[in-house]
Amino acid sequence: MAASATDTRRWMQGASSPLRGALLGLVLDQPGRGGELASRLARGLGEQWRLNPTDVYRLLTRLVSEGLLCTEQQEAPGTARGVRVVYHPTERTSEALTRWLETVVPREPARSTLHAKLLAARGTRDFRLLIRSLEMHEDECLALARLVPPMAASPGSWRSLLLDCVRNGAWLQLQAEIEWAQQTRQRIQELADGE
Amino acid sequence: MNNDDLTIPSPARPGPILSFRNVVKRRSDGLREVVVLDGVSLEVAAGEFVGVHGARRSGKSTLLQLAAGLELPDDGVVVSAGCDVGAASAVDRARLLRGSVGLVSADHWHVRPRATVVDYLVLSLGADGVTATQAKRRAYGALDEVGMAGIALESSGSLPAVDRVKLMLACALVREPRLLLIDEPAVIPSLSGRDRFMALVREAAKDRNMAVVVASEELAAVQGASVFVSLSGGRLRSSDRQGVVVNFPSLQRAAGESAGA
Repeated sequence: MAASATDTRRWMQGASSPLRGALLGLVLDQPGRGGELASRLARGLGEQWRLNPTDVYRLLTRLVSEGLLCTEQQEAPGTARGVRVVYHPTERTSEALTRWLETVVPREPARSTLHAKLLAARGTRDFRLLIRSLEMHEDECLALARLVPPMAASPGSWRSLLLDCVRNGAWLQLQAEIEWAQQTRQRIQELADGE
Repeated sequence: MNNDDLTIPSPARPGPILSFRNVVKRRSDGLREVVVLDGVSLEVAAGEFVGVHGARRSGKSTLLQLAAGLELPDDGVVVSAGCDVGAASAVDRARLLRGSVGLVSADHWHVRPRATVVDYLVLSLGADGVTATQAKRRAYGALDEVGMAGIALESSGSLPAVDRVKLMLACALVREPRLLLIDEPAVIPSLSGRDRFMALVREAAKDRNMAVVVASEELAAVQGASVFVSLSGGRLRSSDRQGVVVNFPSLQRAAGESAGA
């Protein structure tokens, strides 16, 4: 069933909507505690996502209040609270996940501070500052590349294959940013050398 | 595999197997001189895995050929497996690729249409003073490691790209190198084939505590590296801002100044 406009708007509310759908998928695959789910999300999306565990707990609470997840209290002797909360799917979880998968993926705004710096820079006076900013951006991308795990040598399952596709997306995005930074530095340097 | 599996913690870091110090390499493109490498400094120790990313003609292959002793620096110092490449004789440089250094590069594929896969490997060992039986035993061991023992008797001339690269890897590994150089794994057309190849490289490196430098125009093709460097305009940049593996002149100066302060 196609998602209604209201459903789509509801799902797209807030910057954390990708995590809402991803959490439903994870709980459907295997119920777990909040910390476990946050770890599985972080492993799957990669450290370059910079997942904030607080967002995960906040979303879990919200998904429970919306009836899309439910909780089970398990005894946990030795822990501070004596219980642990395990999140399970409800009868609505699967359908909600399908609707989320059907929604049009919203395009994130391509807001780069570097683009704004290029726009604002005062040519000859600032070109060294621009080159330094571009170098730092390239270093940051190279550092992030260390955080993307290698792809599975033999993705033997759907889950493994789709995980590899997520990682491949991260690699290509970083590569594009590095190449843009290099080309931009080179063009700025060539003009500066010619003046 | 955890990226850190291949990383040697800096305090216990052994001496580098590969060292570039302010290396300059120039070429002529017919009209003018082009500086391919412009004061490149780089250190790679045993067990480290450095991924070099750069566009076409950015100097990646030149970097690896200098490390393999196939090119000479115009300025600066390259020390590869204990051999000062710029100062060594041609004979000593040639010995590098017959012992301590392995090079996997499509440019070094020898067309031997009548040779079987195992013969291709045995031929590559031919001048190493081993008997035919020893050579064959070592060749089968290396083919087994790269998962090609099952096609040992097929013609090397009809191998698909992925198997050619794996056979070149076997040719390198059969000599038990301390340093493995891989030029452009992206010649393997399929992503999954490339991923499997890089997994083989990581396993082989881990088993031997071997240093690896992989260069590619695709960042994903050097996945799993413990350090990423990029090459552009003849200069290297690095993921390692502490300069533990890749030391830029400016970082070295800064380190020296702080040590002397």
